[in-house]
Amino acid sequence: MSEVATVAIGWGLTFVVIVTYSLWVVSRGRTIGRKIGIGEVHQSGQLQESDLPTDT
Amino acid sequence: MPERTDDSKMTATPLTRVLGILGIAASVVMAVLGLFISPPDVVQGEAVRMLYLHVPSIWIAYGSFVLTSISSLLFLARSKRREDSGRHYDRLAGSAAEVGVVFTGLTLITGMLWGKVTWGTYWQWDARLTTTVLLFVTYLGYLALRRLPADPVVRGRRAAVMALISFINVPIVHYSVDWWRTLHQKASLSVGRRPEITGEMYWTLLYSALTVTIVGAWLIIHRYRVIRLEEIRDEENLKMLISSRHQEKPTDSTAAGEVS
Amino acid sequence: MLAEVLLLARKDLRIERRAKVAVGQVAPLTLLIVVVFAFALDANAPLLEIGAGGLYWVAVLYGGTLLTQRAFEIETEGGNFDDFKMSPIKAQSLFLGKSLSLFIQICALELVLTPAILLLYDVQVAEWLLLIAAGVAGAVAFSVCGVLWGVMAAGLRVRSTLLPLLLIPVLAPVLLAGSRAFETALGIRADAGWSWTSLMFVIAAVHTVVGLAAFGFLLEES
Repeated sequence: MSEVATVAIGWGLTFVVIVTYSLWVVSRGRTIGRKIGIGEVHQSGQLQESDLPTDT
Repeated sequence: MPERTDDSKMTATPLTRVLGILGIAASVVMAVLGLFISPPDVVQGEAVRMLYLHVPSIWIAYGSFVLTSISSLLFLARSKRREDSGRHYDRLAGSAAEVGVVFTGLTLITGMLWGKVTWGTYWQWDARLTTTVLLFVTYLGYLALRRLPADPVVRGRRAAVMALISFINVPIVHYSVDWWRTLHQKASLSVGRRPEITGEMYWTLLYSALTVTIVGAWLIIHRYRVIRLEEIRDEENLKMLISSRHQEKPTDSTAAGEVS
Repeated sequence: MLAEVLLLARKDLRIERRAKVAVGQVAPLTLLIVVVFAFALDANAPLLEIGAGGLYWVAVLYGGTLLTQRAFEIETEGGNFDDFKMSPIKAQSLFLGKSLSLFIQICALELVLTPAILLLYDVQVAEWLLLIAAGVAGAVAFSVCGVLWGVMAAGLRVRSTLLPLLLIPVLAPVLLAGSRAFETALGIRADAGWSWTSLMFVIAAVHTVVGLAAFGFLLEES
């Protein structure tokens, strides 16, 4: 395997792992957030300042 | 390593959005710097570009595990005094450990690829590699322990003790493996030393470390919030379960006793 | 405190004498492993001789993990930890008592395994004293680590899969040190066998200190 190909594989794999993990974290947050209805439940207010309707 | 910021309202705040955009921008610059602008190494050639990912990854991984240990210690100190006051330290320990495991995995992948080009083999039983792979497995075990259903404070304390013992073990493991490798069989194939990194390469490496730190911080913060959401969900599920039990037998005075 | 430790260790050993799990199941199983290694290595005599020390410790690692599991199953089955919490027995005594009984059982296991490798792998002992010292050091380190991690996995439904995952990375240095020490003792390598043996004692000491400090925390939760 040539050096350039190896570097490309390494950077590519790292890219894929980080992006996949980030997407997983964010989508998990979304799924659970929707399930427990964040925005309506004031309990989560301290966590999500941006949930206030005006913030969007 | 571009980052995807998220415009959802779930785990993002203005601060993390800025951090996320910063992460993407910095990653793009890092890719340009690391892959195109910085020169190939005299000895290693193009393979040196792998180190811009490899070295910062292990720094972040170690940093995350230090963070896990410190928060575990703080959690143990707090949770003994008041039931709920230390839970955020537990969350921080968990999210940092998970991000640490991800970056340890990346360190191993990039390191093996780098080794294939430089040493001619994917794996060498050298002290650093062996310690890293044991570290990886240890924290996978830690995450497995955290995933088990239990009372949050109980689980948190158990995980915290494990995190601390694991951390104490890192130098023991490193020392014994190091000793093992230096005592006999001088490596048959010459172990390529890491190059003298100077000038443009030095700045690229430093810049990469900064970028990976931003990305790591962004991931830890978001993971922390997701853990918090999971806790809220579990608590609400429990509450709903209890109240539905109450409604089943509204007149039965023993219902509460049965539920608890 | 010493009386408590001895009492607890004696209790465990009495259970073992009646149930005969270590003697009747774990010891034969590790013997089987010694035989299976010969299959894996195609009964290659020189290879088995070189690997004897390491294979011995892998077998101990396997048997010891099972014994650790057993040591906590006898407690959690009857919910004994709740009784311990009520009793005036200190958590530290429980830690030491459990370690002592596990230590004795692992030593017994080693007494079965040592002749097995000497006979089946055709190795000669060069240094008896080192062999015994390394065997004891490994057993001490193993039992202390085993009890510390065993209590963590105790009572969990997935303990049979979780415990090895948690325990083996921690015991990796012990396996390393034990194997190297045995290689010296069996005359395969002229090496720092005694230093490796003392490393095992150091590992045991570190985990004893940690165990004494942390066992209270862990016991509260199990």
